[in-house]
Amino acid sequence: MLWRLSSALWFCAPFMVLLVLWAVFIPYFDVNPRLFPHLSSVVQAGIEGVEDGTLIRHIGASLLRVAVGTVLALLIAVPLGVAMGVSPIISSFLTPLFRFFSVLAGIAWIPIATLWFGYGFGAITFVIFNAVFFIVTYNTLLGVSTIPLQVRNAAASLGAGRWAMLTEVLLPGALPNIVTGIRTGLGFAWRGLIAAEMIATNVGLGYMLFVARDFYRTEVIVLGMIVIGVLWLLLDRLVLAPIERATIERWGMVQRA
Amino acid sequence: MKDLTIRNLSKTYFDPYAGTNVTAVHDVSLKVEQGEFVCIVGPSGCGKTTILNMIAGFIPYTGGEILVGGRPVKGPGPDRGVVFQSFALFPWRTVLENVAFGPKMRGVRKVEREQIAHEYLALAKLTEAAGRYPAELSGGMQQRVGVVRALANEPDVLLMDEPFASVDAQTRMTLQEELTRIWQEKRPTVIFITHDVAEAVFLANRVVALSKGRVLDDIAVDLPRPRSWDALNDDARFKELSNRVLQLVRSA
Amino acid sequence: MKQFLLKMWSHCVRLAARWPSIASIAPFIPVVAAWWIVTELQIFPRVFLPGPVEVVRSFGSLVYTGILPAYLQDSIVRLAVGAFWGVALGIPLGILVGLNKRARTALWPLLLFFQAIGDIAWLPILVIWFGYGLTTITVVIVYTVIFPVVLNTVLGVRSIPITLHRAAQSLGASRIRMLWEVVLPGALPNIVTGLRNGLGYGWRALIATEIIVGTSGIGFLMFDARRSGSVVEILLGMIILGILWYIVDSWILAPIERATGQRWGLVTR
Repeated sequence: MLWRLSSALWFCAPFMVLLVLWAVFIPYFDVNPRLFPHLSSVVQAGIEGVEDGTLIRHIGASLLRVAVGTVLALLIAVPLGVAMGVSPIISSFLTPLFRFFSVLAGIAWIPIATLWFGYGFGAITFVIFNAVFFIVTYNTLLGVSTIPLQVRNAAASLGAGRWAMLTEVLLPGALPNIVTGIRTGLGFAWRGLIAAEMIATNVGLGYMLFVARDFYRTEVIVLGMIVIGVLWLLLDRLVLAPIERATIERWGMVQRA
Repeated sequence: MKDLTIRNLSKTYFDPYAGTNVTAVHDVSLKVEQGEFVCIVGPSGCGKTTILNMIAGFIPYTGGEILVGGRPVKGPGPDRGVVFQSFALFPWRTVLENVAFGPKMRGVRKVEREQIAHEYLALAKLTEAAGRYPAELSGGMQQRVGVVRALANEPDVLLMDEPFASVDAQTRMTLQEELTRIWQEKRPTVIFITHDVAEAVFLANRVVALSKGRVLDDIAVDLPRPRSWDALNDDARFKELSNRVLQLVRSA
Repeated sequence: MKQFLLKMWSHCVRLAARWPSIASIAPFIPVVAAWWIVTELQIFPRVFLPGPVEVVRSFGSLVYTGILPAYLQDSIVRLAVGAFWGVALGIPLGILVGLNKRARTALWPLLLFFQAIGDIAWLPILVIWFGYGLTTITVVIVYTVIFPVVLNTVLGVRSIPITLHRAAQSLGASRIRMLWEVVLPGALPNIVTGLRNGLGYGWRALIATEIIVGTSGIGFLMFDARRSGSVVEILLGMIILGILWYIVDSWILAPIERATGQRWGLVTR
């Protein structure tokens, strides 16, 4: 417990140093606030944003889009990936196709998404859906097709039926890959979200940043960047990375950054 | 080749889980003559690997002294060659390049160091494998490379940390016989760590039994050389010595 | 009939074995065919979803006018420059952070945080600082490439077994030589993976940047087409992006990754 607390403190220490440097050096060198804001004005902007509810609204809109896009993508991608991965012929045939589309993931869909769905919720959710869908399908397919045949044979000879094979062997076996896919896909989706919001909407964190630029309100831009960073860090480190670690590392597979 | 002297060596470290100081090695003294083959035997956790790591200079010691040819040990160095249980070959270098690594560090020219490496590879019958990568070899072959790599650097003392523990029984016996042959040819000073009593008696001039960080006894092995398992399996003297060491280790 | 089909099948298998690239092209044939049929049947309005023929035609005309080659070159040069600096800065930083405990406590949390901010969120403030130009684009790409390279280098350096350090030390390697002989090759498979990930992110960042602040490049081409409502050119841009990255990834990066990792037995994939 004590150890965890001290490691958390060590994690925060560099940020404290950075904040102090910011608070001291920006006023000291008299940097133009149109180039880089003072720490106090960023805090001010944060408080104002919370009080008048605009910041909360932007965050809420961004998170909602990510949530809807991701959940929709997962609901379709995982079953599809498993179904395709079961047959080695189908999976080896479709692998290049899904690699191709997972390369296009996210941002490249923005122009056509805005054309098909107009500016707003639909286009952005579509971009996120795409970012997550192809990568997760590809990874699920990969995960299922790399389960050793021996393991599948073992399960079958132990009396596993079709359903048991799916829930006891195929899904758990592909889970590390699925989780890795979700983490990678969400990484692309999050960036895609910010980019899409800069172009195609009138609410959300990306929009907040982009509008602030028009008025040289650097304190809002920096605030937005910090919020984006913190949100992703929380999501990635507190939700995705632990899940990935729980599956990959405990089952003796490789770890990654 | 030089001699090795260990005087009142001890190692104490702080265990953060228990919250106390733990003594892993307790007042160990040992003298290894030039060209001698000494085996240190003991159960796991008796501190034998710790001793070897201190001689190699990988971890600091907290008391006593270690002298190689009269000079105290300060950190790792090419005067003490090490053979690791996990082989520790460089996976990105071919067998030849692995063996030539030590001479390369000494600044030996490419042609010469490859000649040295070929010579030593021939000694362990590895000439065929020179161009392969470690991952492409079997465990037994990899450890042959490990032994030869340490020898090719012509160290004063050769330190071997359970080198044959992770190969299969058949291969182990072959490797042991080869090691005695190579030792007779090159006569390095060797300290060999193992938990296998028969292995220790088979290889050594002298077996040091260790338990809980202390030396129990020091037994001279007067078996004739060259040694082979075919000859020694039914040898009465070999059995007698093995039993003596075994009883020592088990009684502690 | 069955005999005939089996014979065809075995021909296909042999063909694919001789030219592996055929196997990766084959699955696209039915997709393109379906796309063609859907557009021919006019299920969606032509303006929304043009067919393959139109896309090929617009490819021809864009190549002929020289716009496409010029834009493509712009995009690739930008990516190459960004990747170069990302690697040149990322590897040393990663080795420092991987080897030095103090550097790690000080920098690791910051690295995670600044990676989390993400390239594109920097765009607005970079535009204020550097304007709409090459500097902004380069900074964004370097920023994108550098984090995966650094984080994976750190992971690679840390994953080198301690016995390899010890082996090199006891064979007489100095500290400087250890870097070259042990640390760098030991971390190389991870560094390549990092570069591969980094370029994947960098590629997307480039497109986003070109869409938002660009005046040339494939991303700009697509967004310019969006403004004039020309779906053909958007689709063309997407296809070019996909093919280009597919080539870079599977013909250049993946082989390097395999060549370093597999023969050394460090990567099993």
